[in-house]
Amino acid sequence: MTKTLAIKTLAIQITLLAALLSVPPLRALIEQSMVWHMLVQMPLLVLAGFSTAVAWPQALGDRLARYNFFGLTGFMLAQCITAYWMIPAMIDRAVVLPNADVSKLVGLWLTGVVLRQSFLKAPLAVQLFFVGYSLPMLAWLGFYMFSTDLRLCNAYSLESQLRAGWGLVLLAAALGLGWAYSVRAQLLPSSSDILRQP
Amino acid sequence: MSALSPAPQRETDTDLLSGLLASFGACLLVLCLGLVALFIATESGTAYLTETQRRSAVARAPVQVPNFPVFDARGEAQTLKQLLQQDERVWIVDFVYTRCNTLCLALGTVFQQLQQQILAQGLQDRVGLLSISFDPENDTPTTLSAYARRMRMQDNVWQLVSLQRPADRRQLLDSFGIMVVPAPLGEFEHNAALHLVTADGQLVQILDLTAGKQALNAAAALTAP
Repeated sequence: MTKTLAIKTLAIQITLLAALLSVPPLRALIEQSMVWHMLVQMPLLVLAGFSTAVAWPQALGDRLARYNFFGLTGFMLAQCITAYWMIPAMIDRAVVLPNADVSKLVGLWLTGVVLRQSFLKAPLAVQLFFVGYSLPMLAWLGFYMFSTDLRLCNAYSLESQLRAGWGLVLLAAALGLGWAYSVRAQLLPSSSDILRQP
Repeated sequence: MSALSPAPQRETDTDLLSGLLASFGACLLVLCLGLVALFIATESGTAYLTETQRRSAVARAPVQVPNFPVFDARGEAQTLKQLLQQDERVWIVDFVYTRCNTLCLALGTVFQQLQQQILAQGLQDRVGLLSISFDPENDTPTTLSAYARRMRMQDNVWQLVSLQRPADRRQLLDSFGIMVVPAPLGEFEHNAALHLVTADGQLVQILDLTAGKQALNAAAALTAP
């Protein structure tokens, strides 16, 4: 009971922190730098959604779970939303237009929620498929951002883009390691089950 | 996990099949909506950068440049409209700030080359160069004239102005779609480009900094006799 309460408190704290960084007056400060925008605010929003789904596992309800066999739909949705907010023109829009920014906040938070739901439901093969093409995509974007001379966002300096590029590669690597670690945890209980079978 | 496992056991094959179909349907729907969103966001996959989108928008529909009071390196006041309309010339416009040491220097070089080419080809009656300062707080007639000397601007080809009212800066930059961001060492960075503006104040085309020759040809074509 206290453990679930602690998880819920943590989820609320992360969501509040993400929200606090995303509204004035801190919004201007965060979105001034591409590193803070792409490597702090955006991941924090996804984490907020993810932790909310951990704290309230029934958040989406069983009715929606019916449309998410093996977590496929959730992974697809997460992929679409993250791909959308990786388009440089859309990053500019989020900085300039408050309306676009609100849809970014909601979208990325939702990404976190569906990712958690999908990882719970997806067999390892499906997880591998999703992780195996989304993380390289993230890393590729990072490589491109620090290797090109072209300024991708009108809202950010080339120098800021270079640092954000390195950050995205590191983020992709960290997420890959995190997933690999979770695979170990996912495999362990079932292997002990097999051992107990005879 | 243990809470979930009893449910699938109770599920019949029909339930499983209908659930799978529902999931595939939902998946397809999400995929289609996602592709439509990405398609719209990138202008059918042709423009991933704000800069590309800005250029194609101007190419589709010219933008009327707003009119503001400006002053030049001699301190003489006029409006932007008067300046553009002084004759039939088409203007190649860029944005600068005279404290600049990085990109504007590159821009300065591009404009210096354009000035030479205009004079060499005798195009000075048809094409003009106009640099507008986006740093009205710091750019006074004195700094403007120092910059003009440094760049070896020739009055009959290349003009340099700044805004009389710093408050107009935002609207001017917005109308051209210029975003100015702070860069290291107290400099600014902005989406520098060559903007073609007709005498009646229409922004008709935006070209890359490296496309000086095309810009000159396009400007000359607009005023072809």
